[in-house]
Amino acid sequence: MRGFLATRTAVLDWLRTLALQEDVFFPQPMGENSFSFDKVRKHSTLAFEDFDAAPAEKPFRASACVQPPGKKLSPNDEQIFRFSKDENGQYQLTPTLDARKRTLAGVRPCDLKAIHLMDRVNRDGIPDAHYLSRRQNTTIIAHDCLQPCDEHCFCEATGSLRWRQGADIFLTPQPEAKLSIEALTERGERLLDAAGFPPCDDIEKHRALAEEKRAKPFGRHFDAPLQQVIDTVGSSWASPVWDKHAERCFACGTCNLVCPTCYCFDLKDDFSIDDPHSGQRTRSWDGCLLEEFAVVAGGHNFRPQLAARQRHRIKRKLAWLPARFGDGSFCVGCGRCGHQCTVHIDIFDIANDLLAATEAEP
Amino acid sequence: MTPMDVDPNVLTPRMARILEARDMTAQERFFHLQLPGALAHRPGQFVMASIPGIGEAPISISCGPRHDGQLELLVRNAGSLTRAMHRLQAGDFMGIRGPFGSGFRLAEFEGRDIIFVAGGLGLAPLRSLIEPVLAEPRRFGRITLISGCRTPADEIYRERMQAWAGLPQARVVRLVNDTAHLPWDGEVGLVTAPIAELEIDVDNTLAVLCGPPVMYKFVIMELAARGLPNTQIFIDLERRMRCGIGKCGHCQINHVTCCREGPVFRFSELESLPEALT
Repeated sequence: MRGFLATRTAVLDWLRTLALQEDVFFPQPMGENSFSFDKVRKHSTLAFEDFDAAPAEKPFRASACVQPPGKKLSPNDEQIFRFSKDENGQYQLTPTLDARKRTLAGVRPCDLKAIHLMDRVNRDGIPDAHYLSRRQNTTIIAHDCLQPCDEHCFCEATGSLRWRQGADIFLTPQPEAKLSIEALTERGERLLDAAGFPPCDDIEKHRALAEEKRAKPFGRHFDAPLQQVIDTVGSSWASPVWDKHAERCFACGTCNLVCPTCYCFDLKDDFSIDDPHSGQRTRSWDGCLLEEFAVVAGGHNFRPQLAARQRHRIKRKLAWLPARFGDGSFCVGCGRCGHQCTVHIDIFDIANDLLAATEAEP
Repeated sequence: MTPMDVDPNVLTPRMARILEARDMTAQERFFHLQLPGALAHRPGQFVMASIPGIGEAPISISCGPRHDGQLELLVRNAGSLTRAMHRLQAGDFMGIRGPFGSGFRLAEFEGRDIIFVAGGLGLAPLRSLIEPVLAEPRRFGRITLISGCRTPADEIYRERMQAWAGLPQARVVRLVNDTAHLPWDGEVGLVTAPIAELEIDVDNTLAVLCGPPVMYKFVIMELAARGLPNTQIFIDLERRMRCGIGKCGHCQINHVTCCREGPVFRFSELESLPEALT
């Protein structure tokens, strides 16, 4: 594995150069305390946090962008196909596959694990061509975390803090405003060969240095090991804990919207305004917390109660999808749902409450 | 990520020409379609049917397996898409994706007595299994169909059922909840009633159910009372599939996706799925 050592400034300059050729996305400040994973433009504010950054130091805790980077691989309202209808009533349908080259840079381990899980989902069974076309043309430059991004983080608890799979290039903060740079795939090697960063022979030593610097424990931890959390969430069905947290829920679906492993969608058709004989089908994000999510034709709702919909979401993240894919927790511990929720409903608290409730049982 | 071969048309339908379209009841319209290529479906599978520009919805395949690219659907007018479908005529086109779902495996029914219980539109998907079963009388045991609907005006596939009733291996019980002062040559009552009087060889009988959620509980209670084990009851469930490929999340029942593992389940499989029948 080839390694390099360069200043943060040199890496940012390189990303800016890359952005002249293709879309490069990077966490950028949005308002006072928020970050958005946006396209790098000429005057974009780009920065990596310092190796010695204190846990609470602002402004650069860029990890938890409101929207996770993986959403760029399945954007809201993406076109699925275009159609036109001729005078004989015959249709012409053309699927839309986005094969533009792009780079997601500054992707944190939690979001990297989430992208890996979305790869698994979209390759499973009948594969999703639209996601995979984008994914196969995307370069991922990941960035390690030495401090939790904020008080909501619990990525170590869900097993995603040390995730590296799926990244083409992996950046690790180093002293003296530097980054160690590793290529993890052939694509990453080609890119770094062309970048001209100073080579580094003892990349392992630099990784160890960062590991030593890393906060311990890292972020929040469940009151039990992850497997016990998964088992407990899996076996909890009629628990009063579900009702307790649902009581203050507005069913707004924000938790779905910001979750890096929420991928439910709806398909919608439109006619073109200019030409009523042509149009498109698009795919938009949907959320299982929304009331109409499980309604069938005729109006029957299979999950009318809020608590049932909340339970559905939590069990998908911490029981059902982990069991189906065997790749650990589908909650990657990014903390977004708890952070963005208007009434602070947090999957972390729900899991802990379920643990406590199970413990209390005779 | 390792590249893989994928079908670019996974969410893009093929356009099927409508060979025949007619109203079967005031609510249901029957379509006989011709696809450009084979569909190769199993009984109990469904397709995603659409009109480009209007939308797409899951519709059960109503005919038995065939290899000529033809298929039959019975579409209830239940929303903006199906309302638009009710205006389609022979010669028009309908988008079709699929087939999707587990469906029934004919081999599992070989040599068995089969009791079909259909409620309302539930007969449409069951017909995809009833016809191949009746077509090979020596391969299967005694066949009973209990089909119920609200009033005589709501009955679907009436002529079909009358023809099946004439076959030596088949018994057909047609019921309505209420005759609504219309002529009626069947019985009046719920689909549960005839089950009590059936001669059931418990070791060699399979039951297949499709209808509204409210029907299942009572039919299952009645079959259980007759001693039929849960492993011998098949249920064809309805959910709001949007993709058919296990991705969109809409049809998920607890840990299973109805469009992949279902929509046909053995009742014994549903016992671990508390949301399946409610």
